[in-house]
Amino acid sequence: MRNAKVITKVHYEGQGMIMSEFTEARQSLPLRSAEFRRRREESWRRLEEYVERVEKSGISALSADEVQQLPLLYRAAASSLSVARNIVLDRSLLLYLENLTLRAYLVVYGPRVGMTQSLTGFFRREFPRAVREMRRHLAVVGLAMTVGVLGGYLLVRGDAAWFDLLVPEGLAGGRGPGSSASSLIREELFAPWPGFVEAFVVFANSLFRHNAMVGIFSFGLGFALGLPTLFLMAYNGLVFGAFLALHAEQGLTLDFLGWISIHGVTEILAILLCGASGLVVAGKILFPGHLPRVESLALHGRRAAGVVAGAVALFFVAGFLEGGFRQLVASTPGRYAFAATTGALWFCYFFCAGREK
Amino acid sequence: MTRTDRADALLEGIKRKRRVIVSPEGIPLDVRIAAHGERLTAFVLDMTFMTAIIVGLYLSLVPILFSFVPLFSSRVRAGMTLVLFTGFIVRNLYFLHFELAWQGRTPGKKICGLRVIARDGGALTPSALIARNITREVEFFLPLSLCLTLDADAGAWRQLSLLAWTLVLTFLPLFNRDHLRAGDLIGGTQVIAVPRRVLLDDLTLAARARPDETAAYVFTPEQLAIYGAFELQVLEEILRRPATRENDRLMADVCLKICRRTGREETISPEDARRFLNDFYAAERAELERGQLFGRFRADKTST
Repeated sequence: MRNAKVITKVHYEGQGMIMSEFTEARQSLPLRSAEFRRRREESWRRLEEYVERVEKSGISALSADEVQQLPLLYRAAASSLSVARNIVLDRSLLLYLENLTLRAYLVVYGPRVGMTQSLTGFFRREFPRAVREMRRHLAVVGLAMTVGVLGGYLLVRGDAAWFDLLVPEGLAGGRGPGSSASSLIREELFAPWPGFVEAFVVFANSLFRHNAMVGIFSFGLGFALGLPTLFLMAYNGLVFGAFLALHAEQGLTLDFLGWISIHGVTEILAILLCGASGLVVAGKILFPGHLPRVESLALHGRRAAGVVAGAVALFFVAGFLEGGFRQLVASTPGRYAFAATTGALWFCYFFCAGREK
Repeated sequence: MTRTDRADALLEGIKRKRRVIVSPEGIPLDVRIAAHGERLTAFVLDMTFMTAIIVGLYLSLVPILFSFVPLFSSRVRAGMTLVLFTGFIVRNLYFLHFELAWQGRTPGKKICGLRVIARDGGALTPSALIARNITREVEFFLPLSLCLTLDADAGAWRQLSLLAWTLVLTFLPLFNRDHLRAGDLIGGTQVIAVPRRVLLDDLTLAARARPDETAAYVFTPEQLAIYGAFELQVLEEILRRPATRENDRLMADVCLKICRRTGREETISPEDARRFLNDFYAAERAELERGQLFGRFRADKTST
């Protein structure tokens, strides 16, 4: 590179220029960077004006023509930036170009769909796909829950005192080893329907919020490497097993299963989905594969969190069923039919939806 | 640290956290990571707006509800439920809606000049936004509800350990260099500050009254070879400052230093300082840019 300087020097000196004239001539020449700016400034200003309008009032502020221009202007600005980084030393120009390119980039690559569109897209394709992809994790949490159910059932069948230990008071709601078959039937399994507002608004909602929080929580516990998620799943199973044993003791197994399955099919499915998502997160933290941990988490965590969002919707349905329909459908065969229908619907949804390309 | 950032650090003593993201065209873009304070402000603003929305919704829903619920006690219960339910729905849809509709900005973020972007430089997808916002439930609203329902009787240790664990998630942004919260980790997103910059006039042109006016002070290539790009940009910052007495004194100082360093014998009067520095800036920039064209980049005065 030093040679290049020598050559220009020799070249000029060869023409008989003395040193001071040479310096002066160089200084009065327009700067290359100023020339560069003069030629492109107009297109930058135009892009800036478009970007400003979009930032202020959304992409709809641009006409169809301008929307078509936007990516072209963006690319022009981006290439200006690349060139400027190599030939320009004007700090303000560099900062301006960097800022302009970044802002235009955010507009060009920002989300292009509204909330309703992205939500429908999510429920029609992404959610069932993501659920199908986490089959194995679902199997693991399903296993954990089954172990819990068996454990709870066997413990309480062996010694009824376990019931009070396993089931928190709030959840037991006065039920326990002392409950007689008739009180279980009257106050629980075939309790009278409390009325529209009480059933659909109050009860359904409190159930929904409670369950959704538990679900989101078991997902969040995935961050703690997944073991708490599995414990939570097993614990849910334990409580269920304890209740099952309590009713089996009184010979009400079939009625109890019917009573719980109206919403249980949906609710347990949602809990399993949350747990499985938690395991996905844990798995990606523990075994990131060939990617760095943070990237692997971002790649798979996005889908897992999507599944949790979908599960929250499932919880909403479950709360609705539990609060409203459970006491409305007051015969055991009817309940089984209802539960089977919901089960079949979910199966179809998760198995078939979003298969097309 | 990028080239342009060094001048800031020297002049104002600010060291901002910056990251480089690569756009799909392969252009590295320098972004500034949002500071904790900015994000907190944005969040508090958003919470305020959200509360306003919830209260508004509730006030419009209550008359409808009360018109067909006869009993007072169930009115209260139904009312409470409605508050909690609208709260849940609104806080989950608020962030999602605005971040989709306003290119990664909620009203609070817009006011603070923040944006959500995809960390890998790709397009910001709805699923990333759903992911980062559903996680907020665990990060913020869960510990909040745990705090509100702390009950001394019912197993204090269990509750406290639960709270401690969730608070670790809440304060996660304080413990990583990109200020990511758990939702950002899962969604693959990042919150950055995007200030607006205006294009200032070129100093080499602005200082001249006429375009063909020549420089009053002339420098030899040897004198110009002393400094590098960093010094040039610091000088640019100083020249762009408004003319106050303090800045004038600073300029006279810089003038003196340059003269001494380049071995110029003349003394520049304080009135001529700006003129001298402008000419020096123009000459130095021309020299350095020419060098760059030949692939000879001089970062600062210490580089060889």
